Amino acid sequence: MPVAFSGKRSEFFHLVRRGAGLEFVTLGFYRFWLLTDMRRHLWANTLVDGDAAEYTGRGRELLIGFLVALAILVPILGYFLIGLEAERFQAFASIPLIAFFYMFGQFAIYRARRYRLTRTVWRGVRFWMKGSGWSYALLASLWGVLTALTLGLALPWRTAALERYKMRHSYYGNLQGSFEGRGWEFFKRGWWLWLLAPIAIYVSPLAPFVYGAFKAVEWRWWLSGIRFGGVRVESIMRRSELIGLYWKVIGWIVVLGLVFSVYLGLAAVLVASMSGAPFVEFFKSQDFMKSIPLLVLAGLGYLAFALAMNIVIRVYLVHDLWVRVLGSVNIAGIEAAANVAAQGEMANALGEGFADGLDVGGF
Amino acid sequence: MDSHAPESSKPPPDGSANYFDGMSSRRRTVTLRLADRLEINEDEQTLAAWAYADIRRADSPAGMLRVSCLTAPALARLEVRDTVLAGQLVSRCAGMDDDIPGRRGVAAIIGWSLAATVSIIAVVLFGLPLAADRLAPLVPAAFERRLGDVADAQVKKLFGAKVCDNAAGEKAFVKLVTAIRESAGLDTSVQSGVLSSSIPNAFALPGGKVYLFNGLLAKAENADEIAGVLAHELGHLKHRDSMRGLIHDGATSFLVGLLFGDITGSSVLIFGSRTLVTSSHSREAEQNADSFAIDVMHRLGRPAKPAGELLLRVTGNEGKGLSIISSHPLSEDRLARMSRQDQPASRPPLLTAEEWRSLKSICDVKI
Repeated sequence: MPVAFSGKRSEFFHLVRRGAGLEFVTLGFYRFWLLTDMRRHLWANTLVDGDAAEYTGRGRELLIGFLVALAILVPILGYFLIGLEAERFQAFASIPLIAFFYMFGQFAIYRARRYRLTRTVWRGVRFWMKGSGWSYALLASLWGVLTALTLGLALPWRTAALERYKMRHSYYGNLQGSFEGRGWEFFKRGWWLWLLAPIAIYVSPLAPFVYGAFKAVEWRWWLSGIRFGGVRVESIMRRSELIGLYWKVIGWIVVLGLVFSVYLGLAAVLVASMSGAPFVEFFKSQDFMKSIPLLVLAGLGYLAFALAMNIVIRVYLVHDLWVRVLGSVNIAGIEAAANVAAQGEMANALGEGFADGLDVGGF
Repeated sequence: MDSHAPESSKPPPDGSANYFDGMSSRRRTVTLRLADRLEINEDEQTLAAWAYADIRRADSPAGMLRVSCLTAPALARLEVRDTVLAGQLVSRCAGMDDDIPGRRGVAAIIGWSLAATVSIIAVVLFGLPLAADRLAPLVPAAFERRLGDVADAQVKKLFGAKVCDNAAGEKAFVKLVTAIRESAGLDTSVQSGVLSSSIPNAFALPGGKVYLFNGLLAKAENADEIAGVLAHELGHLKHRDSMRGLIHDGATSFLVGLLFGDITGSSVLIFGSRTLVTSSHSREAEQNADSFAIDVMHRLGRPAKPAGELLLRVTGNEGKGLSIISSHPLSEDRLARMSRQDQPASRPPLLTAEEWRSLKSICDVKI
């Protein structure tokens, strides 16, 4: 049984365009509500077996989660930054700091997932999650060390182990989840990408192909491993499916970058002509680096550029990706979800707050 | 309400809808009866009756009305695809959209964000300098020295510099620094040295360290020039400027970072606005250090102007560009100020010609 998506792209575009404008006006504070609105749109238009999902989270919860996370993170951060005691031992001084924040980031990822899952409702029954964020963080860190030591070769097994932990603790009502993907299968499908990765780093036009293929392989493998009781998810995503998306984003970055450069050039010429000095002298004297009007114009242009980039990323890498991923999905055994008893409590948004504060948040 | 009753008792053309009771995921096909309350019926049996005032809209895909009820289980949902029936239901539920933040909700978000922005800016511009001034003296000296040790090691590594200390040069340098230090009223905890780097600069570190780069010595023409610069750096120590700067800069970056949140590439904006804010603060500190240096030099009976001339020689004319983002006042202005307040020399030079030559060659290995 395929999964349907009923949303209109223009509607989503309108939503993120308006959101970007409001983010501009509120200097970023609107992000909590924009993120919520994006999720509400995507969830509500995702129909499984004819019934649409629903996202019941609210922007206010994210804001509170962020503020609480801030209150907890700032003293820790402050302690580390001012804790110069460690710096005196020089060489390894920053290792505990990095390790701590890596673990904390993993903890945040787990708790943020729990928040999102408990706000996901289908057929009047919510998804929910148990398990411990710290156990997950420890597991992720140990696997992270192993992955680093094997230069990334252990990544498929790391992903599989972490997904098993997450899915084992996920529920839909009283239906327990599980993950059947094996690291070995992921490895079999993607090992050649591992070989290509070092080349792609040097030959950058190759990178979107390699990354796009990797993401497609990962999505397909991940989706095909998801189980909730007797419900089995299946994905038939092709390796080339996502490459176009990444190229479109790159194309827009180039276009927006050009527009931004032209704008900067025009602004410089305008300011130079107003200063009265001949152009060549104006630029030679380095005066233009200190010209207030030019700096203000450049700052505004940069903000507009950054917000336009946000719109592009949200339309292509959130909406379009969502639609393509859903399009590849097939669900078997949906009868098992026909009469599931409701269970589970809502989790708070603290994890999302940490994820936002540490910049590790997924969507 | 009552006037609507006769009309609503008529079952709509196709009164069917989907109902989820919030206790299980079972989908029930139900018929609705719009009586004085909304009755949800399955096979002649009433599953639930919702008061119209308690009915709220929930998110739904296009072409479907989905509602919940405040008094029912939180996740109970009624889904109506029939547009006529949906219209009739909506017209009865006055509070349908009460929980959905409309224009007023967005206006509140904008308003509070702007209020937060204004208060953060106010704190950065007015609160932090005050806080830094009040807090800096409270920082324990031991902590400041430790900070200085770390900065010390970093500076030396950064510039690949070593301390120059050939005997004759060191003797002249100590003599010069001691004279200035005593005139400045600082105790012997002040450490100072010359570093072998060709960059013409001098600086003060927290915890009472003053360094002079050999590059500045090379550009200097007499002892008064160097004395003025050292006096300026001692002024920073006396005012504990590096501690104040640290508190001020750290807090500014943090608050500005908080403000911009996660707009892509916000670090550029954070850096930019921080530069603007902290440079104004540091220009003020520089001016105070200059005043201090002028005072010290006059107490020693030596002119302050040569230090200004040395600065101008090092930086060149800085031009008429707006100096709002530079951390120091323009060299021309500093020289002008030092000349304006200058007094002729009333005592002999701080170093003899011989000592001055030794100081100039303090970084030469062979002696």
